[in-house]
Amino acid sequence: MSALYPLLIIAVVLGIVLNLAGGLIWVERRLLALWQDRYGPNRVGPFGLGQVVADSVKLFTKEDWIPPFADKPVFVLAPAVVVATSLLAFAVIPFAAGFVIADLSVGILFLLAASSLGVYSVVLAGWSSNNKYALLGGLRATAQMLSYEVFMGLSLMGVVIMAGSFRLGDIVEAQRHMWYVVPQFAGFVMFLIAGVAETRRLPFDLAESESELIAGFHSEYSGMKFGMFFVGEYIGVILISAMLTLCYFGGWLGPVLPGPVWFGLKTMAFICLFILFRAALPRPRFDQLMSWGWKVLLPLALLNLLVTGAAVLLLR
Amino acid sequence: MAAVFYISSAVAVVATLLTITCRNAIHALLYLIVSLLAVAIDFFVMGAPFVAALELIIYAGAIMVLFIFVVMMLNMGEHAGETALDVFKPRAWAGPSLLALVLLAEIAALVSRQSAPLSGVEISSKQVGVALFGPYVIGVELASLLLTAGLLGAYHLGRKAVTREDEVHGIDTRQSRAVTGDPVVSAGAGRSSHAA
Amino acid sequence: MPTSAAENYFPVLLQILIAMAVAGGMVGGSFFLGHKVRNRIKDMPYESGMVPTGDARGRFSVKFYLVGMLFILFDIEAIFLYPWVVVFHELKMLAFIEMVLFIVFVLAGFFYIWKKGVLNWAAEGNDEGKDAVRILSHDQHAA
Repeated sequence: MSALYPLLIIAVVLGIVLNLAGGLIWVERRLLALWQDRYGPNRVGPFGLGQVVADSVKLFTKEDWIPPFADKPVFVLAPAVVVATSLLAFAVIPFAAGFVIADLSVGILFLLAASSLGVYSVVLAGWSSNNKYALLGGLRATAQMLSYEVFMGLSLMGVVIMAGSFRLGDIVEAQRHMWYVVPQFAGFVMFLIAGVAETRRLPFDLAESESELIAGFHSEYSGMKFGMFFVGEYIGVILISAMLTLCYFGGWLGPVLPGPVWFGLKTMAFICLFILFRAALPRPRFDQLMSWGWKVLLPLALLNLLVTGAAVLLLR
Repeated sequence: MAAVFYISSAVAVVATLLTITCRNAIHALLYLIVSLLAVAIDFFVMGAPFVAALELIIYAGAIMVLFIFVVMMLNMGEHAGETALDVFKPRAWAGPSLLALVLLAEIAALVSRQSAPLSGVEISSKQVGVALFGPYVIGVELASLLLTAGLLGAYHLGRKAVTREDEVHGIDTRQSRAVTGDPVVSAGAGRSSHAA
Repeated sequence: MPTSAAENYFPVLLQILIAMAVAGGMVGGSFFLGHKVRNRIKDMPYESGMVPTGDARGRFSVKFYLVGMLFILFDIEAIFLYPWVVVFHELKMLAFIEMVLFIVFVLAGFFYIWKKGVLNWAAEGNDEGKDAVRILSHDQHAA
């Protein structure tokens, strides 16, 4: 029994995450179309929902091309890394009270660790492709992800000071009286920015800015291996949205409706916010992105931490 | 759980051996990452989740990324291994391995004398923190000085590399320095007139 | 929570294995399902339709290395903050003063390299954008 119960939870969690990641392709295209005053995919099935199935069948049956000039084992490994690491992070995400694969005492650190391993996918993809665009994109993506990873961890620590635990379940329960977005608003904004940069979503998609680098680190990828970078990006978006919900918006807590529904609604709202960013914001220059991160976000994150600490000390 | 410990330990040992014997720098680093991940699982199993998470974040997630990043920047994929072939001559490895054998014997003696079983009791991050910021606080503060030294060192090494790189590639350093108003421009001009 | 470590981490191990299996299945599935046609033009690196020259193993600006070093140093700084945030409720003022000192030491070095212009991503010049273009295009030529 003890082995079957976690297996069941893993199956449910992976089923939700993978299907949602596939479905987001449709959601994103429909929402972008809505905000840009056009139709989007609406031909296959009701509301164009069949597009999800059509796209995945297409990706799976496309040619599995590995460039002869590439470093083959590393080239195949890179897209697998992006999917595996982002799925791994969901091991500590609680969908409701007690509904979690493993409620580790180091939950937040585990999430940070899994996302720091995700950097490998872009480094390895950029290097192994042996293509100039891919290398430039890989370098940019790595520098960007490394920089924003630091601020991501630091901005979350304000929440941990207030909750006194790394366990995500405890953090949610500590928000019963007030969501942490109120006392930790600065931390929330910083984590949101770092999260967008970490998933390489617009406006921070400089690694694959199509007008200058074709597709950046995945220029040479096609078929399902390209699809895995795509799916990995969406899993990352779901992950960051879930973390925002858990750490700043009270997770599954909410009146009337059952916990998982609240969690799903809040997470979905953040996913839509990510898509709205893509529809509304232009891309900064790479040097702006880097110096802004180091010169503004890093001192602010440290300041936020010290102020939070001082406030906790004084108010007790 | 002991089985998991031994399996991941075996993975760590094999991956480390492959790291040493692999010719391609990037492939060797990938094996090293596998080895570090396996060691992290060992820590988890032994009830030290905080250390395991740190191992993942620092070693696997930061230091190895920097290594790969540097190898990628320095363009040493296939040919890097050829210069290191001298390492495989007995003269190079006989001395160090003799010393390592002494260490191995010491460890074996220690381990055989007292065996700490896999207790499975978890050391929480709170206990780690209380130790760090209680009795070991001097070490923590010294570490911050070390980090500062690291910052300055990285800056000065990187700065020298910039000037040397410009000379090697023969780009017009004078023009770029003219933009920044660097005094080196006048020195360079003086040297060329002297040669003429 | 003195539960045995085994029960806590068994699901994580399962998750690791299953995540790797899913990723492997995706790569493997497309390998068997897709048809394969190769030709010489297809097997060239994509360079916007131009005939590719040289390979993509160039040397890059040392700035990227500096970012890597900065990242490691601040990641290690963050590592010291992680245990600090959980013992905060126990050690109170003492821990707070200790951490203020720690952060001041590290930030002293940080502001030094800031003033020295390491964080001006492009180059030492004032016009960051212009110099970024120069460095990147130089790297491409070298590559």
